[in-house]
Amino acid sequence: MASVSIRSVWKYYGKTMAVQDLDLEVEENSFLCILGPSGCGKSSTLRMLAGLEHISSGDIFFGDTRVNDLAPKDRNIAMVFENYALYPHKSVFDNIANPLRLRNMSAEEIASRVTRAAAMLQIEHLFDRKPAQLSGGQKQRVAIGRAIVREPRVFLFDEPIAHLDAKLRAHMRGELKHLQRQLRTTTIYVTHDQMEALSMADRIAVMHQGVLQQVGTPDEIYHHPVNEWVAGFVGEPPMNFVDCRLESQGERLYIAHPSFRVPLTAQQARQLNSAASAPDVRLGVRPDDLALSNGSVADPGDGAALGRIFVTEPVGGDTLVDVKLTEEQRLLVRTRAGFDGDSGDPCVIRLNQDRIHLFSRESGVAYF
Amino acid sequence: MASLDIVENRSPLRPLGRALSILFLAVFTLWTVLPIFVMFVSSFKDLLQAFQLPAVGDWGAIGIFFDFDPTLAHYYNLFANLNFGTYLFNSLAAALGSAAISVVLGSMAAYSLSRVEFRGKKDLFFWIISTRMAPVVAVLVPLYAIFRSAGLIGTLPGLILAYTTFNLPFAIWILKGFFDNVPYAIEEAAMVDGASRVQALREIMPLVAPGVGAFLILCVLFAWNDYLFASIIGSGGAKTLPPATRELVQPQNIQWGSIMAAGVVTTVPMLFLGLLIRRYLVTGLTMGAVRE
Repeated sequence: MASVSIRSVWKYYGKTMAVQDLDLEVEENSFLCILGPSGCGKSSTLRMLAGLEHISSGDIFFGDTRVNDLAPKDRNIAMVFENYALYPHKSVFDNIANPLRLRNMSAEEIASRVTRAAAMLQIEHLFDRKPAQLSGGQKQRVAIGRAIVREPRVFLFDEPIAHLDAKLRAHMRGELKHLQRQLRTTTIYVTHDQMEALSMADRIAVMHQGVLQQVGTPDEIYHHPVNEWVAGFVGEPPMNFVDCRLESQGERLYIAHPSFRVPLTAQQARQLNSAASAPDVRLGVRPDDLALSNGSVADPGDGAALGRIFVTEPVGGDTLVDVKLTEEQRLLVRTRAGFDGDSGDPCVIRLNQDRIHLFSRESGVAYF
Repeated sequence: MASLDIVENRSPLRPLGRALSILFLAVFTLWTVLPIFVMFVSSFKDLLQAFQLPAVGDWGAIGIFFDFDPTLAHYYNLFANLNFGTYLFNSLAAALGSAAISVVLGSMAAYSLSRVEFRGKKDLFFWIISTRMAPVVAVLVPLYAIFRSAGLIGTLPGLILAYTTFNLPFAIWILKGFFDNVPYAIEEAAMVDGASRVQALREIMPLVAPGVGAFLILCVLFAWNDYLFASIIGSGGAKTLPPATRELVQPQNIQWGSIMAAGVVTTVPMLFLGLLIRRYLVTGLTMGAVRE
């Protein structure tokens, strides 16, 4: 086991920048997810850690060892690939045994280790099969087996469950997390699925266009995104954004939109003032932090808005309601199952004032 | 998964089409198999019996074709008096030697061309195959001059080198295609598992085995059936079967029996090679390790 530290790492492909000045520390035995959309530089980062890509500049350390110039085989890492990358001509047993054979381990030792790893993943009955005879989930388990069989310093996962069907993916999330807790090996896991990151990681590093946006616990990332991009990327369904203006009336500051206004709490106002803001702001509020009721009122009051239902989508446990505030502005609300309303019906939306986010409209940086 | 079923729709022309294709196949089979059959049978006949033919149109007398006393005299003559053992060895050595060298060098070159990006790669790739664009005859005279000054005329290494020159570009082209089809991720997995680059290449060699097998056949066939190189560059010390067979046609005497036997000796090894490698080829790429 080892801690991993990435220091001022850049990656260029020709003239194209893939990773920009990345600094990232991964504590020993912890589980870090690198989260971002495709092309954000997360896979490049992982491949640089594995030694499969050249590091354009900067340093990578495993513990105290600088690994920049070490070949993959000398880094003592194990990696699970997005497409599993099993050896098609070898049986499951031989696939898992391969890293041990390459280290000239004795046959008995190999047999016992492979059996132990396979038992952990419940794939012992598949030993004689070839990869072509396995289902997606089984292949993925074999790929993980090949990784865990030799107690490496660091596990690298490159979207290992992205290609499984939704149900199996949800199942494997739990399995993988359990496995990591059991083995206590430093793990770096790349994914574009925010659900995977939130549910499995100790800490999440969010990347966008080669730039690290935020590092934090899943809780921090979800509840305190540092900018509009992170706020919009993390969370399903995604956060609503409404362009507003700051207005002051007497002592109080308000976030004002043609269809509603929200007073700021004293603490929110302080955070805003210290950031020396422009009056143009963007309000962010998650669908979960909005309350919806049918009907109409003459004056909805502060922190509430009148709207008309655009569409309702029952999704089992909840109902998602898309509400039209104005011609251009819509808000998505998550409400109880069985919420009834037809397209065009009037409704009232109430914001949870403590759970709103405010961003600079210019830079996207979060005020709170 | 797409099935390979051919959907047949009923139509009035179908039986006719079927009959025509059977007729075509029958004629084609006769056309290709008959000469080989005649060669094979004649090699076991003595000269008198070999030339006993029924009169034209007398189908009833076709039996005399099979009415003979089998003899191995021609084969005995080939190996005991005409030194065909040496020629057979030369043929085998030249064909297998050039095939082996071409496979080793070809797979290394093909691997590099498939995996590494460098400037001028496309031009290099085209240049490699362009060496095969000129017919053998066109390069034979300069090649002869070069080989003679290098002392390679009439030697087995010279012949192997000549065949390799012609097989290698072919090997690189065929094998590059096969390497391109092997996902790079498998090698990366091997390297992460603890393999060096060369070990990783060895790890994926079984995946290009069908390609190597296909290429081996082509390579061996080219050298085995070659007459031009063999008669000019191999002449003298490294005579192979084709020129040796040609020498059985002498101005005053065409040794039909020995020629037929030599034909059989030349054909049979390739027949077995074909059978051997066909099994290997149909095994095919075991895909499915990587999600498509």
